[in-house]
Amino acid sequence: MTTSLKGNWLLILALSLISAPLVIMYGFQLIDSVSRPAPGGIIPQEWELTNWRFLWERIDSARPSIWRVTLNTFVFASATALLVCAFSITAAYALSRLNFPARRFFLAGLIMLHAFPTITLIIAIFIVLQFLGLYDSLIGVILVKAALELPFGIWIMKGFYDSVPWEIEMAGVQDGASRFRVWRELILPQVKPGLSALLIFSFLAGWSEFILPLVLAPGADAQVLATYMNAVIADDTRPDYGLFKAIGMFYALPVIAVYLLFQKRLMNIYGGGTKG
Amino acid sequence: MNRQTLLGLGFLSPALLAVVMFFLLPVVLTVVFAFTNMSTSTGILGGEYQISESDLRRLPAAGVREEAVEMLAGADYAVRADTLALFAAEFGDKRAQELEALHGGASFDDRRAMERALKDLRRDPIRSVRERKAAAELFRISILGQRFPTEAAFVEAITALGIPEADQAALTEAAYTGWTFTTQNFELLWELPATWRYALNSALYVVLTLAFNVGFGLFLALSTFYLPTRTAQTFRAIWFLPRILPPVLYVLMWQWLTWDQGFISAILRPFGIEPINWMRHTATHAWTFIVLINGCVGASLGMILFSSSLRAIPETQLFAAQVDGANRWQQVRFVLLPQMRWPILFITSYQTLSLLTSFEYILLATDGGPGRQTEVWALAAYHTALSNYGGNLEYGLGAAYALALVIIGILLSALYLRFFNFRDLVAKPRIEQ
Repeated sequence: MTTSLKGNWLLILALSLISAPLVIMYGFQLIDSVSRPAPGGIIPQEWELTNWRFLWERIDSARPSIWRVTLNTFVFASATALLVCAFSITAAYALSRLNFPARRFFLAGLIMLHAFPTITLIIAIFIVLQFLGLYDSLIGVILVKAALELPFGIWIMKGFYDSVPWEIEMAGVQDGASRFRVWRELILPQVKPGLSALLIFSFLAGWSEFILPLVLAPGADAQVLATYMNAVIADDTRPDYGLFKAIGMFYALPVIAVYLLFQKRLMNIYGGGTKG
Repeated sequence: MNRQTLLGLGFLSPALLAVVMFFLLPVVLTVVFAFTNMSTSTGILGGEYQISESDLRRLPAAGVREEAVEMLAGADYAVRADTLALFAAEFGDKRAQELEALHGGASFDDRRAMERALKDLRRDPIRSVRERKAAAELFRISILGQRFPTEAAFVEAITALGIPEADQAALTEAAYTGWTFTTQNFELLWELPATWRYALNSALYVVLTLAFNVGFGLFLALSTFYLPTRTAQTFRAIWFLPRILPPVLYVLMWQWLTWDQGFISAILRPFGIEPINWMRHTATHAWTFIVLINGCVGASLGMILFSSSLRAIPETQLFAAQVDGANRWQQVRFVLLPQMRWPILFITSYQTLSLLTSFEYILLATDGGPGRQTEVWALAAYHTALSNYGGNLEYGLGAAYALALVIIGILLSALYLRFFNFRDLVAKPRIEQ
């Protein structure tokens, strides 16, 4: 096929034009966080770091410190990711390889859950958490987020288990190992790439989550960066986009770092692909 | 066989527990709550029994006879055996005996009168005003404004007041402050014109965004497919970012682009166009940007999925087409697109469901505004039950909204299960023990 730049200039021009709004937004996101635009304009006047003042002072006395909020977000995202991974590696193996009664039923359930829009359940979950006394606590949101990510996690891990050759397992069983030992010592190392991909994915999903903390943990103690940033934006009577964008940069740094490091693996898992 | 079953179920059980707690239970509860009038004012954990001053007027309509209402409204303070016993416990038997001799069987309308009665004590007077007030409180028999945690306590109290048994059932029901089962949520949904408006908004939102997602996703995948690898990767990276950037930040960038001192306004000012908020100015503006904001995220998913299925098509087919003289449009139309039928169908069905139920980006971008022009069904459920300016959150009504989405969700995901070759996915395990 023709893969020269010359023969494709029209296509590249069209793509560049439609990508322009996004590129402009990314560019000014970066520029505006470290500069001050002319009043009423968009061209940066001076370069300065005052937009980042939220890092060393409280922008508003009623707000929790950014570091506390960042810690909350980190705990939330990593606890969710660990829970999802821990539950997925066992459940997915059972569904992929073990023969037990009602397996078909569980598999059908998994596929349905995978497609089911969980956000519709948020009102009921809100009330369940109140019953359990976990409302407005980080633990509550962690449990809910992990549970809601679980069908996806199991689905992805099942895909990875499915691609492990049966021969490995057969050999292990032939040599007299129990199914549990075969799983732990032979199969788990095979799906490690998948597991790390799922870990990254669930971490990012937790890091970006907005609606669940907003509804289930609105208090200052359990605030995460998403709700913190939203509150700063919503409470301001005169929008200070420089500040908003600096907070946004700070918030998105781990996401962008992970994206640059694991781009290929992430694209695969976001596409719902099964190959690591 | 048995050990394997045990291992299988054991491996599955943590996930099962999570699914039961946060999927099955909420589904069942959504149905239950939809049939209640649960709200902030009724509380969640069941209510108490309380008749307040203002309740008295509505009691006759609730089937309580006038005489019973008068009894409730009537004598507030009474010197009776039971109130005297309370008084004796705190202020001594002697005072109680004297008071009984002076005012036994009397009743008073307000506390001031009761305090005057207490002043009549001569042998061992209660001198402090504060103590007299406290003593007067002990004779209070009215239940108005008083809270009773259980039905039994309330019935006991109204029996003590002398309310006839015939009125007790109706009174107890009227006094309950907790939630009760009702079908009025659905009647309300049926009657409110806003309901249809939200449904139409949802339909509009899903159709427009889906068309954008699939069309644009396909365009991105096909065009980058024909580009040299490096260039293609750059464009894919640009379009992949909306999907992984946190929604709060992603929408903030659009807010900046469109606000009245933002990019669009600044660019258009030299041409004499008045700066406006391009996202919120009119309903058309709002819808355009909602479709664009959601569409770029959806197109990103479409692009990734379509790109990977395009790569799976053998290149030889394209070479063959080229040899036969097919131009690029003909290659796309007759070679590539026919093989993309399944991914397109998958994206369409998957996104129909998720667009129908998601409200995150709309909440962040316009919050349903201007007016309620961009309020979709899912957002209405959220606003009704979880966030409104009135302060009274109507969980029951919100659950009724959500129930419609839950039912659609279950039906569609069951349909997809039949659709996307289930049998391939459930190949039997090969080790039989």
